[in-house]
Amino acid sequence: MAGLVKLAWVFLKIGLIFVGGGYVLIPLLHRIMVDQYRWLTLREFLDGVALSQLTPGPLAMLATFTGFRAGGFWGGVIATLFIFLPCTALMLAISSHYEKFRDMELLRKTLDGILPAVVGLVAAAAWNLGTISLAGARDFTLLAAGFLILQFTRINPMFVILGAGAIGFFFRFS
Amino acid sequence: MLAFSLARRERSCYKFCMKQKPRVSLREIFTTFAIIGATGFGGGMAIVSLIERCCVDKKKWLSLDEFMHGLAFSQILGPFSLNICTFIGYYLRGVIGGIIAAFGFISPSFSLISLLTWLYFRFHELPQLESALKGTNPVVIGLILVAVAGMTKSTVKGFNGWAMAILSFSGAVFFKADALIILVLGAIWSLVRCVYLQEHK
Repeated sequence: MAGLVKLAWVFLKIGLIFVGGGYVLIPLLHRIMVDQYRWLTLREFLDGVALSQLTPGPLAMLATFTGFRAGGFWGGVIATLFIFLPCTALMLAISSHYEKFRDMELLRKTLDGILPAVVGLVAAAAWNLGTISLAGARDFTLLAAGFLILQFTRINPMFVILGAGAIGFFFRFS
Repeated sequence: MLAFSLARRERSCYKFCMKQKPRVSLREIFTTFAIIGATGFGGGMAIVSLIERCCVDKKKWLSLDEFMHGLAFSQILGPFSLNICTFIGYYLRGVIGGIIAAFGFISPSFSLISLLTWLYFRFHELPQLESALKGTNPVVIGLILVAVAGMTKSTVKGFNGWAMAILSFSGAVFFKADALIILVLGAIWSLVRCVYLQEHK
C-alpha cells in the first residue's frame, strides 16, 4: 500500500512537468525509474519504449509499463491515473473558463520558450541510452536504418519496431 | 444604444447556438473516443486529424474554430491527443463528459499495454523474445532521434533557442544534471525572457 502511494506521488509529479509532448518523458522516466529508484534496468526501459509504440496511445503509456513493473497491475493503474491527472484537470479547468484563457499570450509564449530545453534533454537521453546500450556495427546499422525509415517514409513506427523485432528474432541476436 | 442592441442580439444568437448544440449521451462519448483510442495507431498528429474528421466533420459536435481553440490549449501540459479528447468531452457534457472522453480514449491503449507488459515480464527471459527485443533497441533510439530532429525543426530557432538546446544537452550529458532542474531553469528563463520582450516591444 505504501508502495502504491509513493508510486502515485512520483507519477503525479511527473504529470505536473509533462510539457512539450510525450518525448520529455524519456529523460524524466529514465532518470527516475532507472537511476533513482532502480525499478527498471536500462534494457527493460528501452523494451518498455518499444512496447509503448505497439499501442495506439501516446508515448505516455510508458508510464503504465513502469508502474506495472514497480507495483504490479495496480501499480500500472495508479501510474496511468496519476500521470494524466494534472493535464486532465488543467484541461477541464481551462475549458470551463474558456473565455478568460483566450488571450493567454504570455503563458503560451513561456511554454513555447521551454521547448528548446526539452529538445536538448531528449537529445541527451538518446545520447545516454545510445552510449550505454549500443555496441558494434550491427546495432549502428539498425539505428541508421531505423532513423532513415522513420524520418523519410510515412511507415507507422509500430511496423518499424515489429520489423526490427523480427530481424532480431530471425538472426538470433544475443 | 445600437451597440447595446447588437450585443444583445449577439447574445441571444449565442444562446440559440448553445441550444443547437447536440445533446450527446455519455455512452456515445465513451464509445466514440474508445474507438478513436483503439484505431489511432501512429500517435500525435495522426490521432488529432482522426478526431477532427470524426467529431467535427462527421458528427458535427463542434465547429472547426472551437476545435482549433481546444487544440491550442491542448499543447500546454501532457499528451495533446488525450487533451483534445478531454476538451471535446467537456464541451459536450461538462466535467463528467471530459473525464469519460479521457477514459474512453486511454482505455484501449491501457488494456493493450497492460497485457503486453504482463507478457513481457513473464516471458522476457526466453531467448527468442530476448533476441527480438535486442533487435528493437537500436530502432527505439532511432525513433527518439527522429523525434529530436522533428522538434528541432519546429521549435529551436535563433540564438536563444540553440543556446538553450545546447546548454540543456550538455548539462544532461556532461554534467549529469537532473532533467527536472534543467526543465525548471528553462521555464524560469523562458518566463523572464517573455516578460522582458513584452515590456520592451
